[in-house]
Amino acid sequence: MLVNVFTKTTRDRWKGMMIGTAALAVMFFLAMSVYRDIDISVYTDLPEAFLLLMNIPADADVGSLAYGAIYTSYGALTLAALALVTGAASIAGEERNGTLGLLLGNPRSRTNVLLSKAGSMLLLTGLGSLVLWGAGRLTPAILDVNVSGIDVEALVLHMFVNALFYGFLAMAISAWTGSRGLASGAAAVIMVLSFVAVGLLPLIESLENAAKVFPWYYFTGSDPHLNGISWGHLTVLVIGIVLLAVTAVIGVNRRDLKGQTTGVAIVDRLRANPMTQKFADRLAGSARVSRIWIKTASDHQALLLITAALMFFAMGVMIGPMYQAIDSALLSLSDQFPEALMAMFGGGDMSTPEGFYQIETFGMIAPVAVIVVTVAVGARALAGEEANRTMGLLLANPVSRSAVLLEKAFAMVLYALAVGLATFGGVVAGSLLGGLGMDASSIAATSLLATLIGLVFGSLALTLSAATGRVPVAIYGTVGVALVMYLLNAFLPLSDNVAGYAKWSPFYYYLSSDPLNNGMHWGHGALLAGLAIALIGLSVLLFSRRDLRQTG
Amino acid sequence: MTDRIAIHTDGLTKHYGDVRALVDLDLDVRAGEVFGFLGPNGAGKTTMIRTILDEIRPTSGRASILGMDTRNKSVEIRSHIGYMPGDLAMYPNLTGRDTLTYFANLRGGVDWSYVEKLADRLDADLSKKVGDLSSGNRQKVGLIQAFMNRPDVLIMDEPSSGLDPLIQREFQTMMRDVATEGRTVFLSSHTLSEVQRVADRVGIIRHGRLIALEAVASLRSKAIRRVDLYFDAPVDESVFVGLPGVREVTGTNHHVVLSFDGRMETLLRVATDRYSLVDITTQEADLEEIFLTYYRDEEVSA
Repeated sequence: MLVNVFTKTTRDRWKGMMIGTAALAVMFFLAMSVYRDIDISVYTDLPEAFLLLMNIPADADVGSLAYGAIYTSYGALTLAALALVTGAASIAGEERNGTLGLLLGNPRSRTNVLLSKAGSMLLLTGLGSLVLWGAGRLTPAILDVNVSGIDVEALVLHMFVNALFYGFLAMAISAWTGSRGLASGAAAVIMVLSFVAVGLLPLIESLENAAKVFPWYYFTGSDPHLNGISWGHLTVLVIGIVLLAVTAVIGVNRRDLKGQTTGVAIVDRLRANPMTQKFADRLAGSARVSRIWIKTASDHQALLLITAALMFFAMGVMIGPMYQAIDSALLSLSDQFPEALMAMFGGGDMSTPEGFYQIETFGMIAPVAVIVVTVAVGARALAGEEANRTMGLLLANPVSRSAVLLEKAFAMVLYALAVGLATFGGVVAGSLLGGLGMDASSIAATSLLATLIGLVFGSLALTLSAATGRVPVAIYGTVGVALVMYLLNAFLPLSDNVAGYAKWSPFYYYLSSDPLNNGMHWGHGALLAGLAIALIGLSVLLFSRRDLRQTG
Repeated sequence: MTDRIAIHTDGLTKHYGDVRALVDLDLDVRAGEVFGFLGPNGAGKTTMIRTILDEIRPTSGRASILGMDTRNKSVEIRSHIGYMPGDLAMYPNLTGRDTLTYFANLRGGVDWSYVEKLADRLDADLSKKVGDLSSGNRQKVGLIQAFMNRPDVLIMDEPSSGLDPLIQREFQTMMRDVATEGRTVFLSSHTLSEVQRVADRVGIIRHGRLIALEAVASLRSKAIRRVDLYFDAPVDESVFVGLPGVREVTGTNHHVVLSFDGRMETLLRVATDRYSLVDITTQEADLEEIFLTYYRDEEVSA
């Protein structure tokens, strides 16, 4: 292993890991303090199928609720996502920056470099897990909550190994393809799919065992926070990790390294094909570069396509029939759902299709999807061009800084609308397929509100990007604020004393009016739109006042 | 060359925290000239350029281009300039043609046949993705981008890095053409020979201060050069001693070597009056020597 490669990678990436896990720690603290305040006896009466889905033991107490809700879902997903990003960037990131050639100009083998990167990923994920372990131990002590039934160490160890699996998955894809985007995208899709599958499949009796196909099963399947370490399951994951690592080593050694270049977009392929060349030329060439906003929009096309497709199919179309499939099991549970627990997932009554869609699609996933695309555009719009050193060239043209910013903001709005539209289309189709008879205008209203809440955070990313010119500040800053705001809105209402403060979170104006049942709440919509516009205005002001950065 | 002023700076100063990147720069670049802006790395050349382009804002002082203030009129100014950044980066996933189309669309009024002509002159391949081009070929796309709108003022920061000698020569001709048409070139460089070849005047900057501003011709005539004179018979080298401009004389038979910084006319008259001069070579002092001389001075005073 190369100590300096290892150290440098660790130094470059530790902030992201620390911010992510610290946010989780805060989240955990909030969740536990709210659970402590509310009457949780209601949970104990919950039916088994539901408890399974939410990862809550039948004799739930404050502790198991908090660990189950925060650590095994958000926590594990976030930790795995952080490992995954590091893994995807390992080789492909240096190729993209054009620094890999320089690195390999030294008498070091590719395997060596890759393993050093893997080591750094291991260390960072370990540090993140330590933070989570610390928070998991300290919080109950501070809040004076009894967590005697919980095996925090086993849970965190499972989280650690689980996260590494996705990190190495991304690293293997990155090593074979040299594409960071592809690696993180594909690994994330696999991760989310297996998370959802392991959560939902056990509800369908005939498919109970199908969950074992998905790697996530070997993380939560044994309920490590209750039953302790499952060495069998961990072994499965570790074998997977070793196989992926070997795959990565083989991959990185057998292919040509890329120079500092370019992804191949779909239009590029069409352009190379003589059959479609003429059409694609217009699309990719002259049309793509006709305006700043069009170019900005085309720069993130892959992300948009994936997100919109995911929202349309997985979160829209498929949910309807799925509701049909498990509806009898859920119907029997109606009226038993405590509002408190459901708040975490955006609230909603699972026995109605609206409620089910709210929990599955709109509560959390839809705003996250819109936020992902708007933050990607918002953060990279200005700071990205500065980091890539193209801003000077762009601004040598007779366009003002405000014009550049507004065109980029326009592209961001289009992106948000596209995801909103895909969600709307998918849910309408899902409702038709499942014969659920949901009101299309209410679906439209909810999709619009999801678009607007996404735009609020996209605009925040744009503001940070305009103010600082630093992509990481814009991304991590926005994600941090969004997490806290989401939590404020999810947990504060559970405790009567502080419920009013939830109105300080933009998320309050997303679903508090229950738009899936009640239709559009124009006041809330206007408030979110106003907030987004104000942030964009602020970014115009900030961007025109400061010195452009010369380097990333 | 006219007396109109293309670029004017007035006490232009830029500090980055404690670092004084640019100190009290007073400079006039005349319309219709090629102005060479010379200095070693980190002297403040790029800071100056980024300031007058309104990428960064001066700590104090002001600047104008074509009489327009660089802060208030920056957008209007930019429709009259072409810019070649020193650390050229473009969009790797666009082809050269797409890149130029993008900027042409932002500018408006770019004559595409002129773009083709420029591409032809520089032998540039516009069909490949910028990210797949070698750095020299990428540089060509950047140059076309700077020239394509026939700007009144061309601002170029180390433009010829990576270009092969043939293309460099073509590029220098292009710069001279711009000046001949009454337009202006502001050429920042540390490539002395290039500035020497194309510039009318040169400013030398160091540690953020302008330490010299001269016509290239007069700089050159100031410089000491080595002159070798070959005769068909042994000569008495003492006849050259004391001639105006002659610094040092050494001779061996047919061959006399002079250190010389005067006018060639006087020297040649003496050399041909009494003797039969067979051959003469002079090693022209390049700006390098002048450059170093100035720096040495500066170092002494600093």
